[in-house]
Amino acid sequence: MPHSLPSSPKASPKNGANGITKFTNCRLLKGDQLVDEDLWVNSVTGKIVRSQAAFFDDSILPDETINLGGRILSPGFIECQLNGAFGFNFSSLVEPAEYAKKVRYVNKQMVSTGVTSYVPTITSQTSELYKRALPFLGPSGHIQVAEDGAESLGAHCEGPFLSPTKNGIHNVDVLRQAQSFDDLVDCYGIENLTAEYPGEPPRVKMITAAPELGQMTNLIPELTSRGIIYSIGHSEATYEEASTAVAAGSTMITHLFNAMRPLHHRNPGIFGPPRPYFGIISDGEHLHPTTIKIAFNAHPEGFILVTDAMHLVGLPDGTYQWTNGDCTSHIVKKGPKLILEGSDRIAGRHIISSITLIECVNNFLNWTGASIPQALKAVTSTPAAMLGVQGLKGCLDDGADADLVVLSEVQNGNRTELVVDETWKFGSKIFSA
Amino acid sequence: MRLIIRDDAELASSYVANYIIDRIKHFNPTAAHPFVLGLPTGSSPLGVYKILVQKYKAGEISFEHVVTFNMDEYVGIPRDHPESYHSFMWKNFFSHVNVKPHNVHILDGNAANLEAECVQYEEKIKAAGGIDLFLGGIGEDGHIAFNEPGSSLASRTRVKTLAYDTILANSRFFDNDVEKVPRMALTVGVQTVLEAREVVVIILGARKALALQKCVEQGVNHMWTLSSLQLHPHPMIVVDEDATLELQVKTVKYFKSIELVARAQGFEQILPSTIRTGQTPIPKTVVEEIASPTIISSPTILQPQPVTSRLLRASPATEYPVRSVSPDLVPDRMADRVGVPDLTRRLTPNPQELHRNSSSADLVPDRMAERVKGVPDITRRLTPNPPEQQQRVASVGA
Repeated sequence: MPHSLPSSPKASPKNGANGITKFTNCRLLKGDQLVDEDLWVNSVTGKIVRSQAAFFDDSILPDETINLGGRILSPGFIECQLNGAFGFNFSSLVEPAEYAKKVRYVNKQMVSTGVTSYVPTITSQTSELYKRALPFLGPSGHIQVAEDGAESLGAHCEGPFLSPTKNGIHNVDVLRQAQSFDDLVDCYGIENLTAEYPGEPPRVKMITAAPELGQMTNLIPELTSRGIIYSIGHSEATYEEASTAVAAGSTMITHLFNAMRPLHHRNPGIFGPPRPYFGIISDGEHLHPTTIKIAFNAHPEGFILVTDAMHLVGLPDGTYQWTNGDCTSHIVKKGPKLILEGSDRIAGRHIISSITLIECVNNFLNWTGASIPQALKAVTSTPAAMLGVQGLKGCLDDGADADLVVLSEVQNGNRTELVVDETWKFGSKIFSA
Repeated sequence: MRLIIRDDAELASSYVANYIIDRIKHFNPTAAHPFVLGLPTGSSPLGVYKILVQKYKAGEISFEHVVTFNMDEYVGIPRDHPESYHSFMWKNFFSHVNVKPHNVHILDGNAANLEAECVQYEEKIKAAGGIDLFLGGIGEDGHIAFNEPGSSLASRTRVKTLAYDTILANSRFFDNDVEKVPRMALTVGVQTVLEAREVVVIILGARKALALQKCVEQGVNHMWTLSSLQLHPHPMIVVDEDATLELQVKTVKYFKSIELVARAQGFEQILPSTIRTGQTPIPKTVVEEIASPTIISSPTILQPQPVTSRLLRASPATEYPVRSVSPDLVPDRMADRVGVPDLTRRLTPNPQELHRNSSSADLVPDRMAERVKGVPDITRRLTPNPPEQQQRVASVGA
C-alpha cells in the first residue's frame, strides 16, 4: 500500500508519564457555543479523553496543563475540496515515489493553516492519472502518526463526468459520460472504488458529477452503497433533475452557485432540492458576500466552507507556470487571488482560488455577521457530518480524535480575525505559530 | 452555634469559601497530615465551589493535601450520568483544582453490595483521621445530606430512600420527570456529620427560611435533621438575608450582634487551636472487630454506643468526644465477656454417666482447680511463716 509511511513511531510517553495534556482557561467549540471548559487529550491513544472517567477510574492526572489564556480551542479544520497546496497539484502525473513524497510534504505543511484532515481533490483528468494518483490519496488516518501532519479522509474526484458547458477551468477534452457503473470503474479503477478491507472506506470518498448526464443519477445508489458520497456539481441540472439525484442518495452540492445554472425564480435549478450539504467558497471572487449570507441563512446546517484551492496556496506571490491537460499557461498569484495570464475569459469569470480555509472562515465571519461558533462549524462538525465521520472528527466530544486548533481573536481594523496559533494532531502539538 | 448572616447569596458564598481557605491555610496540610474536607452537592454550595476554583486559579490556595469525602450519591444511575454527584463534583470542582484523584472519596451508588460500600466509607473516614470540616447544604425540609425527615439522629452512612418532596424537588434535574429520579441514595448519616470536628452549612434563599427557623429556633427534632447541629460543639450556619425570613427579629439581631461585638473587641469567633491546626496526633484507625468479614452487619449496629445519652449530654466543647476512636469505656465484668456457663450442667461427668461412657472418656472442659479435692484453706500457709521458722531453727539448734 503506497500510503505515506509513518515517519516516526507512534508517540510513546517517557517513564511514568501518561501522555495526557489538559487544556484549561480556554473556550471550547461545542455545538453553537464557545464554552469555558477544560479539555483532556491523550497522545498515546490520539483521542480526546473522557476526563471524568480517567480521574475516578484510573486516578489519572494530566502530565501537562496548558493555560490557553482564554483563547479558542476548536476541532481541527476539515477541508472538503483541496486541489493541491504548497506547490504540489494532486492532479499531477509524476513518478509514484515522487508523488508520495509530495503528498507527505503537503500533509506536513497543511497543519500550519489549521487543517488537520482534508479530502484531496483531483480535477477532471484522464483515467491514467486517476489510477496512478488515487492510491496515494486514500484515507491515511488509521496509522495515527501525529508528525505526519494532516490526514486524508479519502479522495474527491471532481470529474470527469461533468457538463461540458459548466466545466469551469476543467479541460473539456477529458470530460465524459457514464452509461453504467463499468464506465466509472473504467475511469477510476475498481481498486479505488472498493474498500481494501471490509468495513474500511474506499480510497475515493467523494465524486462530483453532473446527474443529468448519461445514466449518472441511476448510478448514485451503487456509489453510496460503497460508502462514496455523490456530490452534484459542474452541472446543468434542472430543479427536477437535481431533486431526483438527491432522492437517489446525493447528499452534497459542490461549490454551490459556481459551475451551475444560476438561481432563477421560475426554475431554482440545483437550489431547490431538500437540504443537501453544500460547499461555499468565501474568497470574495467566486461569490458575492450577500450570496453567501443567503445560502447560509437558507440552510445553516448544510453550510460547508471550502477553499477549492490550487497548489499555489502556501507559496509566495509571483508568476507560476500551470499545466492543465495539454495547455500550459502562466498564473499570477497576488495574495489569495490567482489570475490566469493573458486570458480574459478565465480572469473574468473563472477564478481559481489560492485561499486558505482560515481566511475563508474570517471572510465569512465578517461578511455575514455569523457568530464564531457558526463559522467554525462550517469547517468542523458540518463537513464531518457530510463525510460520515461525525463523532470522530470535527468535534471535541469524548473519544473523538484529538485534532485541535488553538485560535486567537485579533481585531484588525473593524474586522475580527481568527489566527491559527497552534495545531494539534492525535493529541500532540505539531504546529506553533 | 455561629449564625453568619450576609446580605445576599454571593456574599454568603464568599464568606464560606474564604472561611474554608483560611481553615486550610492555617491547618497547613501536608501529605502526612492532610486536611479532611466533607463536601456537599446541590445548588446552595455552587457559589462556594466557584469561588474556591477562582482562588485556586489565582494561586491563593492549593488542594494538593486536601482529602475530600462527599456526602451522598444516587443509587442506580451511571456514575457518569450528567446528574450524578460524581459528575457534579467533577464539573464544578475537581476538574478545576489540584485535588489528587486518590484523595477523593465519593460513595459508589453502583456498588454490588451497597451496605458494604457504606461500611467501608465510614472506615475510610476513620482511616483519614476523621473530617476536619464538613461543608453542607440543606433541603427545604431541613435535610442534611440525604437524611430525610424522620432519619435517626444517630444514623451513619447507609442506603436511604428519598422522600417524595426530595424526588419532586430534584425532578427538575431529570427532565421534570419524577419517574426518572432515582428512588434511593447512599448518604452519610447525621452522626457521621456530627462527628466532624467542625460543620459549616450554607443556606440560601427564602425557600429554605422555614427549615432554618426550625433548625435554629426549635428543638432537636428528627423531622428537621439539620437541627441535630445544635448538639455539635462547633457548628456554623452561613445564610443570606432571604433565608432569615422566618426567624424572629430577636434571633437575627442576636447573631448579628455576636459578630459585631466580636469584631469590635478585635477577635473573630474562632475555634480552639487544636481543632484549627489539627496538630494533635492523628488518631489510629480503629479496626472494628467484625466477627467474620463476610457478614455485613448494619453500621449502626456495628458500633453499639449509648448515643442518645451522649447526644443529650451538655458537654463542654473541649471534652466532646468528636470521634469515637475507641469504644466508650463501659464498666463491665470480665466474667461477662466469657460465655455464660450453664450452671446447671456438671462440668465433670456424674458417676452414672462416667460409668456409661467409660469406654471413651470425652474431653470435658473443666477448671483445673475443681479437680483438687476439697476447697483449699487459703488462710493456711504452706510454708512456715518467719516467726515459726525461727522457732523451728531455734529448737533444732537447741
